[in-house]
Amino acid sequence: MRRIDPALATGAALTALFVLAALIAPLWTPYDVAAIDIAARLQGPSTRHWLGTDQFGRDEFSLVMAGASVSLGVAGSAIAAALALGVPLGLVASARAGWLDDTLMRTADVLFAFPGLLLAILLSAVLGPGAIDAALAIALFNVPVFARVARGAALPIWSADFIAAAQLAGRSRSAIALAHVLPNMAAPIIVQASIQAGLALLGEAGLSYAGLGVQTPAPSWGRMLADAQTLIGTAPRLAVVPGLAIIIAVAGFTLLGDGLARASRGKGKH
Amino acid sequence: MRHTLATLLTLIAILIAPAAWASDTLHVGIQLEPPHLDPTQGAAAAIPEVAFNTIYEGLLRVGTDDTLHPLLATGWTVSQGGRHYEFALRHGVRFHDGEPFDASAVIASFQRAAAKDSTNIHAEAWREIVAMHAIGPDKVAFDLAEPDGGFPTRLALSDAAIIPPGAVDTLKTHPVGTGPFRFAAWQRGDSLTLDRNPSYWGTPAHLARITFRFIADPNAAFAAIKSGALDIFPTFPAPETLAELGHDPRLSLAINPSEGEVILAMNQRQGPLANLLVRRAISHAIDRRALIDGAMAGYGTPIGSHFPPQSPDYVDLTGVYPYNPALARQLLTQAGYPHGFSLVLKLPPPSYARRTGELVAAQLRAVGIAVTIRNLEWPTWLEEVFLHHQFDLTVIDHAEPYDYDIYAKKDYYFGYQSPAYDALMAQLKASTDPLERHRLLGEIQRRLAEDAANAFLYQAPILGVQDKRITGIWVNSPTQVLDYQAARFAGAGEGASSGGAGLGGRSFAIVVGVVALAGLALAGRRLGARWLLIRIGVLAATLLATSVVIFVLLNVAPGDPAATMLGIDASPRAIAALHAELGLDGPPLARFLRWIAGVLHGDLGTSFTYRVPVAGLVTERLAVSLPLAAGAALLALALGVPAGVLAARHPDTLVDKAIGLIARIGLAVPDFWLGVLLVLVFALGLGWFPAGGFPGREAGLSALLKALVLPVVALAMPQAAILARITRASLGDVLEQDFIRTARAKGLSETAVLWRHALPNAAAPVLAIVGLQIPYLLAGSALVEQVFYLPGLGRLAIQAIGQRDLITVQAVVLLMAATTVVASFVVDLAQALIDPRVARRTGR
Repeated sequence: MRRIDPALATGAALTALFVLAALIAPLWTPYDVAAIDIAARLQGPSTRHWLGTDQFGRDEFSLVMAGASVSLGVAGSAIAAALALGVPLGLVASARAGWLDDTLMRTADVLFAFPGLLLAILLSAVLGPGAIDAALAIALFNVPVFARVARGAALPIWSADFIAAAQLAGRSRSAIALAHVLPNMAAPIIVQASIQAGLALLGEAGLSYAGLGVQTPAPSWGRMLADAQTLIGTAPRLAVVPGLAIIIAVAGFTLLGDGLARASRGKGKH
Repeated sequence: MRHTLATLLTLIAILIAPAAWASDTLHVGIQLEPPHLDPTQGAAAAIPEVAFNTIYEGLLRVGTDDTLHPLLATGWTVSQGGRHYEFALRHGVRFHDGEPFDASAVIASFQRAAAKDSTNIHAEAWREIVAMHAIGPDKVAFDLAEPDGGFPTRLALSDAAIIPPGAVDTLKTHPVGTGPFRFAAWQRGDSLTLDRNPSYWGTPAHLARITFRFIADPNAAFAAIKSGALDIFPTFPAPETLAELGHDPRLSLAINPSEGEVILAMNQRQGPLANLLVRRAISHAIDRRALIDGAMAGYGTPIGSHFPPQSPDYVDLTGVYPYNPALARQLLTQAGYPHGFSLVLKLPPPSYARRTGELVAAQLRAVGIAVTIRNLEWPTWLEEVFLHHQFDLTVIDHAEPYDYDIYAKKDYYFGYQSPAYDALMAQLKASTDPLERHRLLGEIQRRLAEDAANAFLYQAPILGVQDKRITGIWVNSPTQVLDYQAARFAGAGEGASSGGAGLGGRSFAIVVGVVALAGLALAGRRLGARWLLIRIGVLAATLLATSVVIFVLLNVAPGDPAATMLGIDASPRAIAALHAELGLDGPPLARFLRWIAGVLHGDLGTSFTYRVPVAGLVTERLAVSLPLAAGAALLALALGVPAGVLAARHPDTLVDKAIGLIARIGLAVPDFWLGVLLVLVFALGLGWFPAGGFPGREAGLSALLKALVLPVVALAMPQAAILARITRASLGDVLEQDFIRTARAKGLSETAVLWRHALPNAAAPVLAIVGLQIPYLLAGSALVEQVFYLPGLGRLAIQAIGQRDLITVQAVVLLMAATTVVASFVVDLAQALIDPRVARRTGR
């Protein structure tokens, strides 16, 4: 009997929880997150407000849900964009050894020289802070990551027997790349994407915390934490809750990635 | 480059050199940093906040009772129906540079204020002075174009400060006045220091030194006052924490009314807001009490016009537009907008504006007006809202006293126009009769309310927090400045402060250089010169490419820094001159080459914001960021590697699984959130460490180390988790290999196997990660620096973006990117030295 990997199961469960909250929030939250009720501000948890209310009397649980949507939106679009750009680059580099490969990989090195936060700082200097700038920075940071993983995964495939057979059959390199190489390198890319998604969430939260990411009044975990910091003596709950939400979402994706990596290694061993 | 390094090392030495804590030093928190220090040539309220009645003095001053008192003038007479004034000047006063204060200095000051290229905020008013002449050295006469009853009051404001005629060109960076304090030092982006003027003409100040620290962030302000890093914060930005601070036995609160009116300004040039009914509807839609409770934690007084409630001329007009959403909807329908409309609300950075704006937006949405919020940095706000009137709504505190005259200005940013109001202002100006002025001021307030000229929200309170031991500070409310002359700590004796000791920084740098060269030579011998040369070539090419990317990105950034710096009335000639001064002229390629050539000589350019060399700014910040990053790297290594080794030596046991779980969770914990938790437990709860803030060099080594403990821990933990995982994986793989089995079979002890065979072979991936972590710790510490309010490099970059100081952004980003590239080069080298197979594998 096959045992289910606890890391994989936990990761999948946490990720599902996060994605579900993110998808439901735009349609329904217990309270309207834009509704301000000064009279009800800074209430503790109760049956009416499960996580209490914030400094403007908004329902904290609803805000956490809505924050999930924003986080998923920024991190998800950033990872999607990075995949769309990085994987083809890595594939091309793997197919054409020589100057093209060198140029692409050295360019990736240059991009890699900017720590993620720095890239975001640079971009918000150019574009002005906002959700789009945050997503763009996270995407740019991830392009070389995916390019490297894709190249690394594709290189051994090119020397496999079935590729040689396809070449003998007279198919072009680009056709082979799309039909044979790409499908066979999916596993490591999915694993990496899951791990990078976790890091992207962390990055989004950090940028929003620093005021470089999502702007008011859109709810965001990073900014909720920043706003709650002065209230830490009176309502520490408001600082703790968004942090826990971040941890759940990030841990979900990294555990999922770890679990998938182990699962695909396990398959490889048989 | 070497020179920069030497300066840096000297600074670190000064930083950690122990010094006595002087109890006659006052640490003052202020929200905004002044752009320069000449109150007669700029509008920023932060200039008088630090420089007026400290460095500079005027002829008169306004007392707490809102009446005029003599200062540099001992008295005055008025004649010709308010057209001719004569002031007797104080005898024997000298400026800080030794120059005498006399009638010629007074005349020169007002000539400069009224000059054609003057940027004095009341330049037009000073041009009403048609003649000035000295009646001997100690008496001066003014002739005005029109009778002006308000003239003496204006002489007490900060833009009427008397300056030494001989030093006018350098006042912005090296201010000189007659006041009880002298300028000592200005650490840009962090603090400004004034020292007691021992030869003050009046009673010398009790305090030997005042240090102003610039803290706009509510979190940081709270941390700094709570931790004792600040003694007083006269305009505290975090009202929601006052209830808690009030319970602190060490602190006392001082809540006073200000001259500032917080308004919802409406651009009434066109669109719905040009309609009086719409403006009245908006005034009815706003619940002022809810704004004060929600944004200001209950501090503040509702207002109904542009006038402060504590003034004897105040008329309470809050009843004109009571909160009534139903009536607001009705008025909107009447105005032809039954289904509402959309408006853009542009908000400046201060927390009162952001919070009030968010609440106002929600209240307006409730009556059907769709409000979109846009948060702007100050330069953008000034440019879009104030200069180019591209806005519908904004929330702003009009902090200046007697500023109802803005409603008579032509084409002021909100675009209010009323001939009736202009007529009232003209009458007021012509009147010197107190009763008549009182009546007219009442009329003025009613007119503004009647026209719903803006939506008047609340009077901004001055929320002061201070150490209980401080006495003698009195609030000079109408002129927005505190008087520190008589301030002192109760029971404080004369403290002694000593300077730090220098270090032979240059020789140290030379030693480092020699070691680096020796290391390269060794690497060359062991790995082959060709391999090394290729690596160095790649390093240089990467650095060059990186600098090109940074330069190109920042040169397409919108906004002209020179235009932003010079402000509203800058002439194209002045902008061109500043371009040349900042090195912004010429074709892009020439500018890029100039920049790179400068960088190679350790010249990073001149900061747009502060007009000082960026290299100096960066050096100051590195003195915080380097110890922080180094401490965190060491702690991460000390925790992560042993944990990883422990787990690898006991694979699949409970220990391994526990360490694995903790490390996984550690990876997901944001370091800035961990910082907040640490503050909650160890600073606010247990009180073991300060909640934040950097005590400054004079505080001594132990205080500095204490301030760094929590940030280092917060920064190190996630990195330790990464190291533990990498060590576990790498060592785990090695321990499964054949040669380890052979070593064990030979009968070597487990310890010997581990140290002699396993660890060296497992080190390469760990080293690679450490190489990536070091630059991350330098750059990524920005968020942790934000949590603990440390003046580090990362925060410098974030602050510089806020001020659109792109030359500073450019320098910091280049420095960090270079650190990354060099760190990965060093790691490559180290890996190759440990395991020469790496060199052969990568030596293509």
